Amino acid sequence: MSERIRHSWLWTVLFTVVSLLWVFPIVLVVVNSFKNKAYISRDAFSVPRGRAFVGLDNYARGIERTNLLASFGWTVVVTVGSVALILLCTSMCAWWIVRVGNRVARFLYLLFLFNMIVPFQMVMFTLSKLADMLGLNTPWGLWIVYLGFGAGLAVFIFTGVVKGIPVELEESAMIDGASIPRTFFGIVVPIMRPSIVSVAILEAMWIWNDFLLPYLTLDMRKYKTMSIAIQYLKGGYGSVDMGAMMGCLVLAIIPIIVFYLVCQRYIISGVLAGAVKG
Amino acid sequence: MVSMVGRSVRRWWGLFTLPTVLAFVVGFVVPFVMGVYLSFCRFTTVTDARFIGLGNYRAALSDGEFWHALVYTVAFTVVTTLVVNVVAFAVAFLLTKAIRGANVFRSVFFMPNLIGGIILGYIWLLLLNGVLAHWGRSITYSGVYGFWGMVMLYCWQQIGYMMIIYIAGLQALPGDVIEAAQVDGANGRQTLFRVTLPLMMPSITVCSFLTVTNGFKMFDQNLALTNGAPSNTSELLALNIYRTFYGRTGFEGVGQAKAVVFFVIVAVIAVLQNRLTTSREVSA
Amino acid sequence: MRCEMKAKSILAVAASLCMMLGVSACGGSSNPSAEGRVYMISQKVENNDQFVELGKQFTKDTGIAFNVVSPAADSYEQTLKSELAKSNAPTIIGLDNNDYPNWAEYCADLSGTSMYKDLKDPNYVLKTGDKVGAIPFVLDRYGIIYNKAILGKYFHASWASLHSVDEIRGFDALKTVADEIQAHKDELGIKGAFTSAGFESSSIRRYGDQLAHIPVYYEYRDQGRTDLPPTVSDKYVPDMKRIFDLYIKDETVPATQLSSATFDDAVSEFSLGDAVFIQTGSWAYPQLKGQKVEDKDMGVLPIYMGVPGEDKAGLTISSNYFAINKKIPAADRKATERFLDWMLTNDGARKIVTDTMGFETPFKSYSKAGYKTRNPILRSNDAYAKRHCYDMTIRPLPSQQWSLSLGNAMLEYAQGTGDWSKVQSAFVDGWASEYKTTHQG
Repeated sequence: MSERIRHSWLWTVLFTVVSLLWVFPIVLVVVNSFKNKAYISRDAFSVPRGRAFVGLDNYARGIERTNLLASFGWTVVVTVGSVALILLCTSMCAWWIVRVGNRVARFLYLLFLFNMIVPFQMVMFTLSKLADMLGLNTPWGLWIVYLGFGAGLAVFIFTGVVKGIPVELEESAMIDGASIPRTFFGIVVPIMRPSIVSVAILEAMWIWNDFLLPYLTLDMRKYKTMSIAIQYLKGGYGSVDMGAMMGCLVLAIIPIIVFYLVCQRYIISGVLAGAVKG
Repeated sequence: MVSMVGRSVRRWWGLFTLPTVLAFVVGFVVPFVMGVYLSFCRFTTVTDARFIGLGNYRAALSDGEFWHALVYTVAFTVVTTLVVNVVAFAVAFLLTKAIRGANVFRSVFFMPNLIGGIILGYIWLLLLNGVLAHWGRSITYSGVYGFWGMVMLYCWQQIGYMMIIYIAGLQALPGDVIEAAQVDGANGRQTLFRVTLPLMMPSITVCSFLTVTNGFKMFDQNLALTNGAPSNTSELLALNIYRTFYGRTGFEGVGQAKAVVFFVIVAVIAVLQNRLTTSREVSA
Repeated sequence: MRCEMKAKSILAVAASLCMMLGVSACGGSSNPSAEGRVYMISQKVENNDQFVELGKQFTKDTGIAFNVVSPAADSYEQTLKSELAKSNAPTIIGLDNNDYPNWAEYCADLSGTSMYKDLKDPNYVLKTGDKVGAIPFVLDRYGIIYNKAILGKYFHASWASLHSVDEIRGFDALKTVADEIQAHKDELGIKGAFTSAGFESSSIRRYGDQLAHIPVYYEYRDQGRTDLPPTVSDKYVPDMKRIFDLYIKDETVPATQLSSATFDDAVSEFSLGDAVFIQTGSWAYPQLKGQKVEDKDMGVLPIYMGVPGEDKAGLTISSNYFAINKKIPAADRKATERFLDWMLTNDGARKIVTDTMGFETPFKSYSKAGYKTRNPILRSNDAYAKRHCYDMTIRPLPSQQWSLSLGNAMLEYAQGTGDWSKVQSAFVDGWASEYKTTHQG
């Protein structure tokens, strides 16, 4: 790479400033989360002190009003279950599509491609209706809904990967007497592992943050995901408690940052996997 | 051409494809087909649909707010696509140079992308209203304020994402071509515009289309930041459809018709993208 | 070999089917329980927390599950609609007389319920033909609530033109007071005469709906009817402008910031003593009480807007109603009726309703047992009743959309991005067109 960039330290300073600006919105939320709600909209940039400082009150109230801990749990259940089901089912399906390659397989593949370009608004009403009629209005029911609506991208990425795997490996395994599931799980899956991680990250980012699908589908009195709980804080109680809102926002951001710090490498590979689509 | 593997795998369709296909039928095929059908019906729930032909489409296309949302969304998409890609490319270009702390900066820029749209919306609601308060305004003062608020929010969210793709593209560039250009006496600017940019066209195409489709479909951020206020003037297309659907009874069919129009636009963009990327790959 | 393959593939199909069914069977936990459930969509957003409390008490007493959802005004219809479409649909629907016609087909006949028989006046109910569709459970009053302590300070000021609240018997007096307070706000230690006239979604209802009900009331009076007319005139729109101009001129924040000012903002301005007047009603009492402004310092004025004869006007009266969803299983219906009975007869429930919620109920059982709310906003109506003032009853509006559009037009006028003709058109033309869309096929 070119080392000849001039005034390297100047760029470092510049980028440091920009980076600080970049995280400023989040810092601002954290600062305001310690502020009395009456002072938040009055002056967002003041430092909470004196009468305006309320300690952890906003967090306590936010957790209590939205039942945020339960929402966190449901979001985990929905995300982990859906992602696991998507990975398992779509990788198997993609392998079948590539290896069989007949008219049915090609038709299926086209359908999945088609799925990728359909915006959610197109099916939001009918899908949520159907899910409700079939009793899929629970966190585990959502696993199936997400598998169905989110299958396109995963199948697409996985078929691309399987196409690159030489069929001879599987042939020799079968000649050695391995059953079909064994061949798939023993030979194919290990080769696919990097792309499985990428797809897992991609789908997890989508499902964790998704709002409208769970909002329209879930039985809202029992289960709320984090996004729903936070949106509900605005629309659901008649008044807008900005203090509780700030507390909830911070609590919603923390797990994401932790996840990011732990899995940064995989997240970036996931982003790149998502970018190859099309 | 069908291999031995293919022949033996085919019988296993029950295990390998059926779960996905069943879920796909429930989660996509049936809702989609029903959605298309319902756009020609008058209904309040799926069981009381009555076929009325093109009435919903007529109502949708004669709705001024729908057109406003469409124009607003197109403007939003154009502006954000330009800003996001130019900035993301510039940042990626600089960060692939030897800058101390490049990895940290990269991490910081990317982070907002992981945060959900609803949460992003409320973060920016606080920030923008806080800033605008100094001029006695707020983000929902007019559709124009909401527009630029959403542009800022969206750029904040997307620049890091696109930057990652550009960095990967830049790192994959053949170093010898650029060196050769420099040996031939090209200056930095010439190298960038004559050599690097053309080589980066695949990444640029991918990123542009990602920004276009994501921008066009944006919903959560819109809902949280302005919810269309005031008077639905800061309403993007996705929110307009949602409001038509769920805002009041009697307009479900119109909402569904709008959704079909929306789908057609998104599909055309996607097909266009596909054409462009494949043709470029062939010529490259 | 072949046969074995076939068997295997059948097995595989069966296995995957089981998997799908297994997952969805877990999802099928919605099997109705024998004792039923109560699920209420409430319009009393301000009282959500208290309904939750009430529900907890009910579940403790009876073991029946209770849930309440209180959507904001601008998402009320969409939430109700999407919830009614679900399999675990709401059992109790909270309605007001605006919404009732839109949802009447979902309402069960309540004429056999003990709640109906317990009404002091059976004429309070909403009917479709002979069907008793909805029963009121709370009588609310609203107007301009004022802080007696600060107003008292004003009356004693040397520059004050008026010296007693009894002199405020019409718009002109109110305007004089508000303008003088606004001019001397620093001296009085306040930020403005009126709290912020917020138009954020939690607050827009106060103008597009609650304020609009005053001209609508007079319009109905002139037309001599109580059911929805197909059109209204613009006769009282200038009166509404008069009071609205006062709200946005003599208030705590610049009018250009109103679009994001919330109801919470207005409430905290009033309860921290930053403003003298707030236009709201008895439902806001739980949020107003227990802060800087004591109960004895809360008084209420009618919403004066310069209509001739308004010195005899009292507070505006509005009710909120319960309806029972007619499309629910018998067990749920029974559980729901049990909840309503429990609300009438259980002392714990009556205490929460009367004291914590501050509701004035229309039930014989409440007054017989001596439950009368001390809600100062309701009690301040007693003086108007004694003077034989007329109640400004809220009358049906054509649709929620009408008040939303009207509210938005008022916001644009307030912040200077639109003019009053748009408000007038939203009021008059909007009425006609909404009547057409919602009440004629």
